[in-house]
Amino acid sequence: MPTCSRNERSAPAVVDTGVRRARGAVARLGLALVFLPLGSGCGDGRVGQPAVDADAAERVRTALVTSTGGVAETGTDAAATGTGWGTLKGRFVFAGTPADAKTLAVDKDTEVCSKDGVKLLDRSLLVDPSSKGLANVVVFVRKSSRVKEAEPPATPVVFDQKQCEFITPVFAARVGQSIDVHNSDPVGHNTNIAGTSFNQLIPAGDGTLFKPEAETGMPTMVTCNIHPWMKAYVVFRKDGYVGVSATDGSFTIPDLPAGEMLEFQVWHERSTGPNGALGLAKPDLKWTPKGRFQVKIEADEVKDIGTLEVPASALGG
Amino acid sequence: MNLTTSADVRHARGQFPAWSVKIVLALLVVIGGTGCGATPPAWFRLNMVEATKQKLTPDQERQVATLMTAMFGTPDDPVALPETGLDEAKLRLAAGPVRSDIVGRKNGLYREHCAHCHGVTGDALGPTAAFLNPYPRDYRPGIYKFKSTERADKPTHADLTRILKNGIPGTSMPSFALLSETQIDALVEYVKYLSIRGETELGLMRAYFELDDDAEGKLPETREFLVGEVLEPVAEKWKAAADALIPVPEMPADIDMVASIAKGRELFYGDKANCVKCHGPTGMGDGQANDYDDWNKTIVEWTKEVVGTDDKQWANRAHRVLDGDSLEPRTIPPRNLRRGIYRGGRRPLDLYYRIHAGINGAPMPAAKGTVPPEDIWHIVNYVRSLPYELDGELGADRPMVARDRF
Repeated sequence: MPTCSRNERSAPAVVDTGVRRARGAVARLGLALVFLPLGSGCGDGRVGQPAVDADAAERVRTALVTSTGGVAETGTDAAATGTGWGTLKGRFVFAGTPADAKTLAVDKDTEVCSKDGVKLLDRSLLVDPSSKGLANVVVFVRKSSRVKEAEPPATPVVFDQKQCEFITPVFAARVGQSIDVHNSDPVGHNTNIAGTSFNQLIPAGDGTLFKPEAETGMPTMVTCNIHPWMKAYVVFRKDGYVGVSATDGSFTIPDLPAGEMLEFQVWHERSTGPNGALGLAKPDLKWTPKGRFQVKIEADEVKDIGTLEVPASALGG
Repeated sequence: MNLTTSADVRHARGQFPAWSVKIVLALLVVIGGTGCGATPPAWFRLNMVEATKQKLTPDQERQVATLMTAMFGTPDDPVALPETGLDEAKLRLAAGPVRSDIVGRKNGLYREHCAHCHGVTGDALGPTAAFLNPYPRDYRPGIYKFKSTERADKPTHADLTRILKNGIPGTSMPSFALLSETQIDALVEYVKYLSIRGETELGLMRAYFELDDDAEGKLPETREFLVGEVLEPVAEKWKAAADALIPVPEMPADIDMVASIAKGRELFYGDKANCVKCHGPTGMGDGQANDYDDWNKTIVEWTKEVVGTDDKQWANRAHRVLDGDSLEPRTIPPRNLRRGIYRGGRRPLDLYYRIHAGINGAPMPAAKGTVPPEDIWHIVNYVRSLPYELDGELGADRPMVARDRF
């Protein structure tokens, strides 16, 4: 056989695609067999997962274990830089024509929820036809150095539901402030606030009080599991510096600490930005894609940042 | 044709001298024989769903993986910072590969008993997870259903111990009553460790969005941030669990059970307790049934976002993560109360806890606050009577037999 083999090899190659193909296939197979174990089997199997920097991990751990002294209390920053108070106002308008709101699929308790043939509409994009005002944009201060009203108001925020709809689609409350979760319907609801573990039965015509214990960060979703189309959003902040734009798109946040740079976060349910952050092209306010802008307000000043145009593309068309 | 074919074969064979075949074979033998050395050490998987959802960059993913190793160690070598309140000695008994230590004591209990369903990371992505219904619990969000504490609170050590000893009827979770107290204790501690670890990881990933712009997308690696702002708030909730027990008034000893069941029935169907809305007019779970629990809802909501996005590159990455790091979402059916199977325990007290606080992570709401304790006891009594109801409403004028219950 070796002789034969040598003879064949020494003979001038006849163009023969069959042979080439066969040779190529065998060679590829051999190579694959050789590299297969090297390529996959001998790693640690972390496909699509980041590698750990072991040295850095060791360094951080040593620092965490050996650093002396307790962890500093993270409370209100003591660095108050001014004394007065000011107000921020502005107005959001929708630059475009909103599509007709979708009708929600109401298939439970229709004798109440679809009473008199009422159709419930999707309220994620509410634009006032005459003023083009964009409702339910949330604006809040990211970090405040001082707060005018240290204690949350004693009067509870009323959060009601009627005809299988939350009356306020977007609302705010202060941490520690009572929320009167009410049900004005003749059918039972449950109110489930994501991220808080609050999920309670709200019997017909009844209500219960809920006191948020922590901030939400960005607004969090409120739902009713019995009527899954029901949806609202709520934001809890310690300082209460939150504005939710009204039907005409306007918002006002009073009693802000004056004389210092304040950073605001802006959110809208339909925003395509990260976590619902609303990014606008407003370089004068240093508006970022993370939906943050900066403003300094003087004491007793009512700072109007004017009309803020929200392009349709920022809200997913 | 025949001739050509045989010539082809001869040609083909002839192209490879015997020595080359031998070399390839030898290489294969060498590689096959030595293998890849020892099995690589186990590692914790990063929460890719959250990382992708937060649109973390590769550098940020690496930072989280590194910080997690710094704060919690590896599956073979767990670390518990003092602030976690965890006992590292217990963790060592549960962690690592299955082996015997110097005194002959079995180590690596978690990997022996739990990891095949709950995963080495506690992410419920173990090899058998996809075949189970319901899916195993994902510990990372730190949410537990069956406990004696208020809805928002963590389970107590005793709650988790009870689950390990009794298993969860109606699910694939078996009883581990044959393990020793020490072993169960070690496993409970390890579950808490994986849970605190998972919640810390979520906290770190979500913190990138909160960073100020001048942080250049990098989390501070200080004790104040990592321990003070991220780890401690999670650990504190676990430490507080023992003080968050649901107050349960004794059921009156002289209660008229027939009257109580009748009252419970009224509440079940009434619009105050409203059990009928989900558990259905027959009590067989035939009410509102197209909802998801928190774990599955996370995937459902995120999938909607992925499908709706214009960012094709991110969508591709997200689809890969959905394929590889999550299971097909499933709806959560309200419990069929006529089967007499109670996942969180069958004691009247267990049912009281479920109705009072609802079931955290599930759509089941709390009756607390709007339904007074004595009414909760009436509902408990009615629910406990459901598997045996003789009222003929289901067309059954005899005690229900097993066939009817399914």
